[in-house]
Amino acid sequence: MRLFLRLLARNRLALAGAVVLGFVVLLVLMTPVLPLAEPNITNTADRFQRPFTPGHLLGTDHLGRDLLSRLLWGTRLSLAVGFSAAVIAATIGAAIGIVAGYFGGRTDNLIMRGVDMLMAFPYILLALAIVAALGPGLMNALIAVAAVNVPFFARNIRGITVGIAHKEFVDAAKLSGMGHGRIILSEILPNVLPVIVIAMSTTVGWMILETAGLSFLGLGSQPPQADLGSMLGEARAALITSPHTSVVPGVMILIIVMSINLLGDGVRDALDPRLRSGALTRPMAATLVDRDSVPEPSGDGILTLDGIETQFHVGDRIYRAVGGVSLSVGPGECLGLIGESGSGKSVTALSIMGLVASPPGVITGGAARYRGRDLIGMPYRELRRLRGDRIAYIFQDPLATLHPLYRVGDQLAEAIRCHHAIGRAEAHDRAIELLKSVRIPNPESRARSYPHEMSGGMRQRVGIAMALANDPDVIIADEPTTALDVTVQAQILSLLNDLRRDRGLAIVFITHDFGVVAQLCDRVAVMYAGRIVEEGPTAEILARPAHPYTSRLIDCVPELGGGRRELAAIPGLPPSVDDLPAGCAFAPRCDKKQSSCAVGEVALKPRDGRAVRCLYPDWRPA
Amino acid sequence: MGSYILKRLLSAIPVLLGITIIVFAIMAMIPGDPATAILGSYATPENVEKLNRDLGLDKPAAARYFIWLGNMLTGDFGQSFALNRPVIHEVLERFSATLVLAGTAFVLCCFFGILAGVVSASRQYGLADKAITFAVLLGISIPSFFLGMMMILLFAVSLKWLPVSGMYAIYGGGDLWDLLKHLAMPATALAVVATGVIARLSRSAMLEVLRQDFIRTARAKGVSEHRVIWGHALRAAMVSIIPVLGIQAGFVLSGAVYIEIVFQWPGVGRMLVDAILKRDILLVQGGVVLVAACYVIFNIMVDVAQSLLDPRIKT
Amino acid sequence: MQLMDWTRRSLLAAAGAGAMALGLGLPVQAQTPPGVLVVGQIAEPKALDPAAVTAVNDFRILMNVYDGLVRYKSGTLEVEPALAESWTISEDGTEYTFKLRDGVMFHDGSAFNADVVKFNFDRMLKEDHPYHNTGPFPLSFFFSAVESVDVIDAQTVKFKLNAPYAPFLSNLAYPTGLIVSQAAVEQHGADFGRNPSGTGPFKFAEWRSNEAVVVEKNPDYWDGAASLEAVVYRPITDANTRTAEMLAGGIDLMVEVPPVALSEFQTDAYRVSEQAGPHVWFLILNAKEGPFADKLVRQAANYAVNKAALVNDVLEGTAEVAAGPTPPAFAWAYNEALEPYPYDPERAKALLAEAGMQNPSVTFFVTEGGSGMLDPVAMGTAIQADLEAVGFSVKIQTYEWNTFLGEVNPGLEGKADMAEMAWMTNDPDTLPFLALRTEAWPDKGGFNSGYYSNPQVDALLDEARTATDQGRRAELYKEMQTIVHDDAPWVFVANWKQNAVTSSKVDNFQLEPSFFLLLKDVVKN
Repeated sequence: MRLFLRLLARNRLALAGAVVLGFVVLLVLMTPVLPLAEPNITNTADRFQRPFTPGHLLGTDHLGRDLLSRLLWGTRLSLAVGFSAAVIAATIGAAIGIVAGYFGGRTDNLIMRGVDMLMAFPYILLALAIVAALGPGLMNALIAVAAVNVPFFARNIRGITVGIAHKEFVDAAKLSGMGHGRIILSEILPNVLPVIVIAMSTTVGWMILETAGLSFLGLGSQPPQADLGSMLGEARAALITSPHTSVVPGVMILIIVMSINLLGDGVRDALDPRLRSGALTRPMAATLVDRDSVPEPSGDGILTLDGIETQFHVGDRIYRAVGGVSLSVGPGECLGLIGESGSGKSVTALSIMGLVASPPGVITGGAARYRGRDLIGMPYRELRRLRGDRIAYIFQDPLATLHPLYRVGDQLAEAIRCHHAIGRAEAHDRAIELLKSVRIPNPESRARSYPHEMSGGMRQRVGIAMALANDPDVIIADEPTTALDVTVQAQILSLLNDLRRDRGLAIVFITHDFGVVAQLCDRVAVMYAGRIVEEGPTAEILARPAHPYTSRLIDCVPELGGGRRELAAIPGLPPSVDDLPAGCAFAPRCDKKQSSCAVGEVALKPRDGRAVRCLYPDWRPA
Repeated sequence: MGSYILKRLLSAIPVLLGITIIVFAIMAMIPGDPATAILGSYATPENVEKLNRDLGLDKPAAARYFIWLGNMLTGDFGQSFALNRPVIHEVLERFSATLVLAGTAFVLCCFFGILAGVVSASRQYGLADKAITFAVLLGISIPSFFLGMMMILLFAVSLKWLPVSGMYAIYGGGDLWDLLKHLAMPATALAVVATGVIARLSRSAMLEVLRQDFIRTARAKGVSEHRVIWGHALRAAMVSIIPVLGIQAGFVLSGAVYIEIVFQWPGVGRMLVDAILKRDILLVQGGVVLVAACYVIFNIMVDVAQSLLDPRIKT
Repeated sequence: MQLMDWTRRSLLAAAGAGAMALGLGLPVQAQTPPGVLVVGQIAEPKALDPAAVTAVNDFRILMNVYDGLVRYKSGTLEVEPALAESWTISEDGTEYTFKLRDGVMFHDGSAFNADVVKFNFDRMLKEDHPYHNTGPFPLSFFFSAVESVDVIDAQTVKFKLNAPYAPFLSNLAYPTGLIVSQAAVEQHGADFGRNPSGTGPFKFAEWRSNEAVVVEKNPDYWDGAASLEAVVYRPITDANTRTAEMLAGGIDLMVEVPPVALSEFQTDAYRVSEQAGPHVWFLILNAKEGPFADKLVRQAANYAVNKAALVNDVLEGTAEVAAGPTPPAFAWAYNEALEPYPYDPERAKALLAEAGMQNPSVTFFVTEGGSGMLDPVAMGTAIQADLEAVGFSVKIQTYEWNTFLGEVNPGLEGKADMAEMAWMTNDPDTLPFLALRTEAWPDKGGFNSGYYSNPQVDALLDEARTATDQGRRAELYKEMQTIVHDDAPWVFVANWKQNAVTSSKVDNFQLEPSFFLLLKDVVKN
């Protein structure tokens, strides 16, 4: 609850809405004690006084009644009716929705058919008919507005309930012999309550509008009682001569509904767990770059990274995901980048082509050079021309990374047509060739498939084919085999290996698995907490790891080429990159740690074509 | 696909049947009778009773329902008490006027709503986003009838740019240009709320989609940002936008009532309001059944469009 | 359906000769062409069959399409010849013989003669008439005294009454007495209401549902052809939109201008016409039960309501304070000696105290609109405030007009203590006869919804109805007014001055005391 309030308060717009609404509510609560004219006392001689006439701050209406007083009394009524209608509709609708969703089957079918019918009935006419049947009056308008909104709530809540009704804890409750009523109250209701509150907070404004509409049609409050809609309706006859009598209640409706909507949005954002992290931000086309200086080029590979630093700025916190990574890869070479989850290896890879989601990502330092040209801070147009053309990516989990609504052939063809002005048919033929080249059987018909119609291995091949589309110089493969089973993984690795040899590709291969590195990579760089802790030829490092972390990683691999491997065997957790310890980041987990490890910066020291970031490396003889 | 549509159409039949029962029951429950409306100020209880007998309103409700249903199945919607003309003529005429109004408004709100949502999402937190968000908030908070009144005051009475009311000029009209002039204000006023709702939804759907991995893939491929937004992202966002379009179509159709009253548009909403007030039972029943049928069919169309758009949906 | 209409519509454009070309390319506010008058009506007509309708709104069209045997002389409520050139009344007042005008043709080409007259009245009055089913005919009781209509020869027709009935001629001049084409009724049956044919100065051209009724000049009109080429009646139910249309130039003539909008038209571009007519706006008080069963309380209500403020402020001077049940427009029958109840809240309180009812609580039926009801919600609200000020506690219930009638006409008993009501009539007999007699209680088929009963009034009204001498009738009506004034079965509130606004391009326009809208001589430049 406190979290909820804090999140709500952080949303400035919602806060503004809450303040305005709070002010209005306070005002109308105080209305009975405020020194106002009686709202229903007529004085026809003083009719249609303009605003700011003495004694009538907002003027008077067609019967000489004080508009300010009527406005406040009317607002009081409209707010009360809007809220009650929302509560009534939400309660009844939610009850129906929960019953339908929980029991399912025939009950559900029957109820939802009824809801369908009511929803197909034009809602204003339904409200009108209800009021006509019950007779005019604000209470009846309230009933009508609540009634027509019940189906919306019912349908909404039912959807949520269906999802919950099949969860384990509900089954468990059933097995433990709880009655339906208790399960609904103790298991289901708490879980749908946030949704009910969200739906309610976003519909209160709508309810007020609808009630105003009915009053406007003369079916709501009875004279002389004022509510905002009837004030507007009565003032309408004088719209042309005395527009202020219409504008005053009209603007009040606007203010109230607007503040309620703002607040409702805030409530929704605060209650919706998906949005709690504040992550509902759109990544820009390229990662933001904010660096003070450009370092000199160091390596001589086709792709060279010099001290790349990438941070995530979330609220006041700064996460140093990548803290100065330098790498180099030459043509035909395969460089492995290995580390635990969260070690910064993927972010390093994405930083190269500016694909780190931004906001919150910012590249704060370093350079990434392709054939000597710095990719960081390169104008977007040029960067886009290189993306997928010279430097291509292969991502993990192709079900998520392929567009679900495009046929794979079209997605391949698009990759080509982005960089080459060729015709549709030609691109299509080329796409089929590509599918063939990654050994997809029956490529013509596969090109017409959607990603969800393919197996995981097939999809990964499509991902590789897409990376190869423009015959790039560098491929950055981000855990391309993680989601696959071992046989498929082996096939994919050998495919990549062949391509590298045939085409002279430079590959940066990101993984958390030394077994995979051993199969494919010439050299390997080990990352920990955003930095490279050891680098060197794969065989040497595997045989004689110098950094304690590296050796621990290798120890996790029981047997090369064996089954799945877990890194959880290392005790402790990697440090949080927004709060790195001084000195060696691995020290807290290291069993060789000395007191000096926690003091000062530890440099990456080269030696014999290898490098290690450790004060006490384990240099075993070859 | 064909069998899917057929299945959906068949499943609509019980819904429509239910609607006939609901509307009939409501009209039967409403106090008052058409005879009073027909006889006007001079309706004496005696005359009213006699006329109700002539109109067949003294029969039991169940009998009247089945007579009505039976006639309707043969295409006979009966005669409007108050208007002295066949219900079907009146309803079709008024309904086509509403379709012109609501259809235009719907096209407007889809176009501008999605446009605003996408622009807003693609320039998140930028000036355009803030301006659009504010405009959208205004749009969903203003009562459409109030907006309509203000528009009349400004554009018709003060500036004299647009005609005040009606669907065609009484003279010199009847062409498309004339219709557009008369449509401008009511269609806009009607579209505003739905535009706001659609824009909000499109914005959040776009933001949701833009975070997805396949957008990063598209960018990594070198797809231009324009195409990423309007192609890849919008296409995927449409999956969650389209159902809302279906719901909004219903709101636009319903909300047309106020606009038709304010702008004297000769539409079916105003007709139904009048008919309810005048207890023109057959007209209300016929009108509601037609509007509901239209709504149901539209919803089927939305579902079909959805399944065409999203190959993952099993049809 | 509408789609197909578009082409037809663009071809039609009714009688506006050459008007069509104007609309294209011009600024938006294409004015209506000279010779074509656009009238802003308050509602869509129910039908164009004069025997079947009751609303003044519909009469505004009908009076220009049809003629009756007689009509009101311009500017008065006195009867003069129309389709009948002359008539004679038998000594005992039960036989009226009309000599019909020769050579008059209906718009459909059929001839007007005595047979047609007989057909018209038989259709309305005889339940076994083959075309009686083209009804219902709610106002047929205007002629309930007619026993038979006999054709003497082609140009002579005789009405036989079952008793002397003084208002008969006046009723013939009422729209219910307008003569329709027999041929057209026979051809269209129940659809005649949408395919009207009469003898009037304008003939029906087109009825576009919810958009317009168009009538065009009848060049062969027996009383001289009209000046206008055509008249377009546009139904604009919303008073505010009607005002906006008038200001924007979309209509040339607007009736029933909302009082609050009148000030907008005080410029050279418009002319405002006013005409008092036989209208009375009152509150029915339930004399059978509740507080108003006591005459003192009824009088208190009359004192409590500030009628001057109502007519001058709420109605912006579009009405005058009513003194009694008979409007002054019936000059010969109006009792000049009668003074309206003054606004005297103290007196009202004193009367309530005398009746022993300091704080009576009453239910008040208010309508949202309706024929002649002026501004009923605002008036009802103001009246409520006035009554509360002297100690009443008033609960308002509003109803849409037809629902309202359905609630009020069967009597207020058990439902309400007071209700708004207004009548526009053509004879001083009509209103009191239908709404004040004991025999007119709702259960006896009348409109005395407040159950007022005074044998003296009953007797006076019965006699006035059969007296053939107008002087004698006047005496009886005046006496009746004095008694009713004192008994206060109603709160007498207002007599409406009908108003209309015309644009400065419209000449020769005049409102009639009958509330009819006669457009034959109107010129539009």
